[in-house]
Amino acid sequence: MKITVKAAGYLVHQLGFSEREFSFENSPTVEEALATVGLKADRPWVVTRNGQAVKAGERLQDGDRLFIAPIYSGG
Amino acid sequence: MKGWTGNILRIDLSNRKVKKESFGEDFARKWLGGRGMAVKTLWDELKAGTDPLSPENKFIVVQGPLSGFSLPNAGKTVVAARSPLTGGYGDGNLGSRITAQMRRAGYDMLIFEGRADKPSYVLIQDDKVEFLPADEIWGKGSYDSMAWLEKKYGKAAGVLTIGQAGEKLVKFAVVRSMEGRAGGRPGMGAVMGSKNLKAIVALGSGQIPAADAEGLKKRGTGDLKQVGDIDKKTGWSRQGTTGVLAWCNEVAALPVHNMRRTHHPEAWRLDGQRLEERKVVVYGCPNCTMHCGIAIHDTEKRESELDYENVGMLGTNLDIFDYPQMACLNYLCDDYGLDTISAGGVLGFYADAIEQGAVKGDFRFGDFEGARKLLRQIAHREGVGDLLAEGSRRAAEKIGNNSIAYAIQVKGLEISAYNCKFVPGMALAFGTSPIGAHHKEAWVITFEINQTSRDSYGPEKAQKVIELQRIRGGLFEAVVSCRFPWIELGWKVENYADYLKLATGIDWTMDELWQVSDRIYAMIKAFYAREFPGISREVDYPPAVWFDPKNADTEGPIAGKVLDRKKYDELLSHYYRLRGWDERGVPTRATFEKLGLAAEAKELAKFVKLT
Repeated sequence: MKITVKAAGYLVHQLGFSEREFSFENSPTVEEALATVGLKADRPWVVTRNGQAVKAGERLQDGDRLFIAPIYSGG
Repeated sequence: MKGWTGNILRIDLSNRKVKKESFGEDFARKWLGGRGMAVKTLWDELKAGTDPLSPENKFIVVQGPLSGFSLPNAGKTVVAARSPLTGGYGDGNLGSRITAQMRRAGYDMLIFEGRADKPSYVLIQDDKVEFLPADEIWGKGSYDSMAWLEKKYGKAAGVLTIGQAGEKLVKFAVVRSMEGRAGGRPGMGAVMGSKNLKAIVALGSGQIPAADAEGLKKRGTGDLKQVGDIDKKTGWSRQGTTGVLAWCNEVAALPVHNMRRTHHPEAWRLDGQRLEERKVVVYGCPNCTMHCGIAIHDTEKRESELDYENVGMLGTNLDIFDYPQMACLNYLCDDYGLDTISAGGVLGFYADAIEQGAVKGDFRFGDFEGARKLLRQIAHREGVGDLLAEGSRRAAEKIGNNSIAYAIQVKGLEISAYNCKFVPGMALAFGTSPIGAHHKEAWVITFEINQTSRDSYGPEKAQKVIELQRIRGGLFEAVVSCRFPWIELGWKVENYADYLKLATGIDWTMDELWQVSDRIYAMIKAFYAREFPGISREVDYPPAVWFDPKNADTEGPIAGKVLDRKKYDELLSHYYRLRGWDERGVPTRATFEKLGLAAEAKELAKFVKLT
C-alpha cells in the first residue's frame, strides 16, 4: 500500500523532503508510519490524515495522505 | 516605584503644550501597562460618542513594565485610541526602537490630544519636547518618511510614522516603524493623521528603573540566548509564521477567494518553503532573537517583508499565487501605511461583490494589476478607493444587495487569515476578539483541529478561547511583550511573572495576572457598550456567509459543512457564562465588582442597563 507524507515548516529540513510517497507491506498505524519516515519527537508537531485530525494508533489505508507540521501561532 | 517610570507625557497638539503627569502603584498594579493602561485612560478621558477622527479623540503610545528591557521579546509598543473603523476601543502593537527610547526618556505613556494646525511631527528628547513641521515628509510613504527621520536623528532613534493612508484618514491605516513593522489595525494611523501628526520621534538618555537591575540583566541576557538557541535548534524562523500556510490549506482553513473557498491546488506556490527559497534578508524587532520578518524581492526588486497574514490575505484570498506579485501588494500596503489584513479583506470583498453582481466594476480575483491600482486609490481616497477606504463593513452597507453577508469582518475589523467556515472555536475567537476580528487575541485553531472534534461547539472550546485571550490579549499586550517565544517555541508563560518580579519588585501569581487580563477584557467590552448602548450578542457573530449552506465546500475535508448558527449561539453563551457576562455580552454588575470595577460599572449603567 502507498501513503503520501507531506511535511511543512522546519520539518522539511529535518526529514529531507517536502512531499514523498512511501510503500508499506501492511497497514501501519500513524505512529508507525511517522517513525518510518524519520520524524523525531523532540519538538511538538501536529498531524492530519486527509485533512482531518487523527490519533497515533489509527491504522492507515492505501492512498491516505498524512500531513505533519510544527505547531504554529500564525502571526 | 520600579519597573514603571510612573510618568505620562500629555501632548496638546492644538496649543503646543506639554504636561508631565505621574501615576501611582495602585493604577500600575491594576492595569499593568500597554492596553490595560490605554483602555482605562480612554475610558476615563473620552466622552461617549467622541468622533474618532476629531481633535477630541486621544492617541496613546504606551509601554509596559517589561518594555525596553533586555528580555524576550520586549521590544514592542502599544498604540491605542477610539477606533474609526469599529467605533470601539482600538489598539495594536508593533516592534519599534521607540519602546526603549521612550522609557529611557522617562515615560510609560504618551497621550496626544487636539490637532496640530499643520502637518507636524513631535520630537521627544528626555524632558525636551518640540513640535516640528512635517512639510518635507507629508504626502510621502512610510519608507521615505522613516528614512528622512532616521537620517536626521540617527538609526537608533525611536520612530513611529504614518503613510499616505493615515494622512487621508483611511479607516484601516496603521502606524509604522522599522522596516516592515506595523501596528494598530483598527485605524490607529488614521487617528494620527486626523491630528496632523505625521510622526513621533523619541530619544532617551536615562535608565529604565528596575527593582533588581543586575538580576534582570543577567536573567534577560541568558533567556534571550536560550530563546535564540531554541529557535536555531528548531529552525522556526527559517520560514517564520508562513509555515502555517500549508497546514491551513491541508485542513481547509485557508482564505481563498474572499474566504469563499478554504483550500486551493496552487496554494503551495505561496507556502513557507517557497518563501524560504526566495528569502533575501530577515528583519526583527529590538530585543528579539527569533526574527520573523522574512523579506523577499517583489516585482520591482524591492524588499518586501512578509508574514503569514500578509501572504494569506493579499495572496491566496485574492487568488494571487505569485510570490513577487503578492509581495508587491504587501510592499505597497506597508509604504502607504495600510493594514495588510484589512486591505486583503477589503479587496476580496470588492471582487466578490462584483462577482455577485452587487456592484459594477472591473476588478476580478487574480487581477494583480487591478489590486495594485486599487491600493493606490484607497490610500489616496481616489475614485472607488474612497468607498473602500471605509472598510468592508461600511462599503457593504453602502453597496447594499445583502453584500454585508460576505464582508468578512467582525465589529468592522476584517478577519485575519483563517477561514473559519467550519472551525467553530476559531470563529468564536474572532467573534469575541474585543477590538474586532484579530488573531492576536486567541489562536485556538490548532488546538481545535488537532485535539478536539472539529464539529463540536462544547464549553471546552469557549474555555480555551478565554485561556488564550488571558495570555495573548491580556498578559502579553499589557506587560508589553511579543508572544512568539511562548507560542512558537514553548517558552513558559510563568517566566513573565519572574521578569515582572525582577522589574517591579512585586510578586505576581499567575492568577493575579489572569485577573488583570479579565479586567482589561471587561473594560474593552464596557467601552464598546458605552459607545453602542443597544449592544447585543450579534456583534460577537462572524459573517453570515459562514453559516450559509450554499457557501459550503463541494469537495475536500469539510465538504458540505458550514457553521451551525444555533450551535454557535450556544457556544457564545458558554463563553459569556464563563466570563461572567450577560446574554448580550456585557459584563454583569457582579463581574465588574469582582474585578474591582465598581466605579466603571456605575458609569456604564448611565448608558446600559446592567444585570
